[in-house]
Amino acid sequence: MLTVLIIAMVFTNMIFMPSIVMGFIKNAEHQIITYSTGNILVEPVKDEEYITDVDSLLAKVNRVPGVIRASAQYSMGATLKNKAYKIGRPVIAIQPSNERLVTDVSKNMKEGDYLGDGELGQVIIGIQTAGHKDPTEDMGPTLGAVGVGDSVTVEYTNGVVRNYRIKGIIETFSYSADQDVYVTQEEMESVLGHPLDVATHVLVKTEPGVPEAVVKTQILRFGVREQVKTWQDLLEDAMGRAVQNFSMLNSITLIVSLVIAIVVLFIMIMIKTLNSRRQIGVLKAIGIEQGIIINNYLLQVLLLTILGIVLGVVVVEGMVAYLTVFPFKFPDGDITPYVTFSDLASNTVLILVAAMIAGYIPAWQVARMDILTAMRA
Amino acid sequence: MTMIQTKDVTKVYQMGKVQVHALRGVTVTIGKGEFVGIMGASGSGKSTLLHMLGLLDRPSSGSIALSGIDIGVLSDRERARFRLKRLGYVFQDYALVPELNVQENVFLASMVRGTKMLDYLSSTAQILALIGLGDRMAHLHNELSGGEQQRVAIARAIVDHPEILFADEPCANLDTASSRTVLDLFKTINMEREQTIVMVSHEEWHKEYFDRVLTLQDGLIIADTG
Ligand SMILES: Nc1ncnc2c1ncn2[C@@H]1O[C@H](COP(=O)(O)OP(=O)(O)OP(=O)(O)O)[C@@H](O)[C@H]1O
Ligand SMILES: [Mg+2]
Repeated sequence: MLTVLIIAMVFTNMIFMPSIVMGFIKNAEHQIITYSTGNILVEPVKDEEYITDVDSLLAKVNRVPGVIRASAQYSMGATLKNKAYKIGRPVIAIQPSNERLVTDVSKNMKEGDYLGDGELGQVIIGIQTAGHKDPTEDMGPTLGAVGVGDSVTVEYTNGVVRNYRIKGIIETFSYSADQDVYVTQEEMESVLGHPLDVATHVLVKTEPGVPEAVVKTQILRFGVREQVKTWQDLLEDAMGRAVQNFSMLNSITLIVSLVIAIVVLFIMIMIKTLNSRRQIGVLKAIGIEQGIIINNYLLQVLLLTILGIVLGVVVVEGMVAYLTVFPFKFPDGDITPYVTFSDLASNTVLILVAAMIAGYIPAWQVARMDILTAMRA
Repeated sequence: MTMIQTKDVTKVYQMGKVQVHALRGVTVTIGKGEFVGIMGASGSGKSTLLHMLGLLDRPSSGSIALSGIDIGVLSDRERARFRLKRLGYVFQDYALVPELNVQENVFLASMVRGTKMLDYLSSTAQILALIGLGDRMAHLHNELSGGEQQRVAIARAIVDHPEILFADEPCANLDTASSRTVLDLFKTINMEREQTIVMVSHEEWHKEYFDRVLTLQDGLIIADTG
């Protein structure tokens, strides 16, 4: 019984820690897609600063099968000021009705409201830029806890200075999305002094279930000259290192759990075998063949291991179910463990193999011992 | 007909740097149907000799033949088969399988030998009744007294009528009445079936049951009544 419990624990440990790390990775990916880049990001042709002829690009991309919606963003550097607080942030101009269909920022307003089409003199800012009431929650420089209805001064890099009323505060729990500052396209046009016919990038949302790479190929086939990158491409480019480190961390966690599992199983089964040394000696004395004794013994170990794994699967699934309803609260958002069937299957095989080896070696050693020595134990 | 024949059997145990000469050259011949008692002081080598004869250990030198077969040349596997099919052994410390109940301990070997289930169930019930444990079939060894465990060990050894029955102090934990039950049983199967029995004992009064007494002292046979 103890054996079964320990195997169950070992199994749970093997699955669970890596699944939390996977949860982090999935969460980060989800945040990037839903708040920052969309599924696909179109960037200017190499060595150019802007995407020109935005309207025709949007029209083209929106016709591509698998695309839900494309939304253009224009971003300009600026300095934001509130009283003595002063921070540099790019200000992103969007067309709100369009942007709503592409990112989920509009669904994550902590206070106030999202921008409406054509609104002037209003800004929405992320909580990490606005600042929390409790400054210990801030993870970088802020405007010192500004809220809805407060005003901020924005000095654009083209020299234009504006006073905006804060219409809403964004809180997505994605650190980068919670720093963003948005105004409407029309506001940006008034800052620039001319109509906005360029964009710094275009976010594209694709239909769920359609692989981004397929849609990307389609977009390129529709004659888009700009750089088209899926979120996976972007992760590889920009965050490549971080993701690699993450998956390396995961491999290490897995290897460590595996080593612990094997050592624990080994010790436990070894003790169990040594304890049944006398019994094995008696069976041999009666004249039962070594092979039969070992096989019988391995069958017992196999049975216990399978029971342990079954119990482990139940525990893991139970914990996943629980944590899906009540996730871990992290600064990066809610983390739920991510367990795939293949994780369960491969770990089951690993544990079975480890148990068989851990069972076979001592059983063989004891069965090989001379009868009287084994019986004297 | 010769059942057991030994020639100059010695056994030396290595205890670190010290050598213990448990047997110093035992030569003896035992015929079919003999009921032989091995007697002698504690430490004289009685159990050691029985281990050699029962194929539980190999002598340091000398040879042993059982039913005309030189067992020195048998592989471990063949020796295991020999024990299973042809020998019965009552251990000085019973050596029951703790996970099995009384009945299972008795029929375990029959089962492995390939006896039909109905047959071994009935022969097990019979022998246990005969030995006074008919109502203890489902008990585990830790629910039995020393004497009862000893009787289970005896039942296990004789249930399938081995060619040779070895018994190492089978009455050590029994009162006189129970001892007589066991010795009477041994005598009966000895007479009725010509069962060859080699039994270790240190009780003088057991001699009345034996056809022949071998007396061991310091690893040598110093007296043989046969
Ligand atoms: N495994 C062993 N290692 C070392 N010495 C041993 C071993 N087994 C037995 N001996 C020694 O061999 C000698 C004979 O032992 P054995 O057990 O045959 O005696 P015995 O006549 O059966 O005594 P008892 O009446 O006490 O059972 C003793 O001196 C004992 O200490
Ligand atoms: Mg002895």
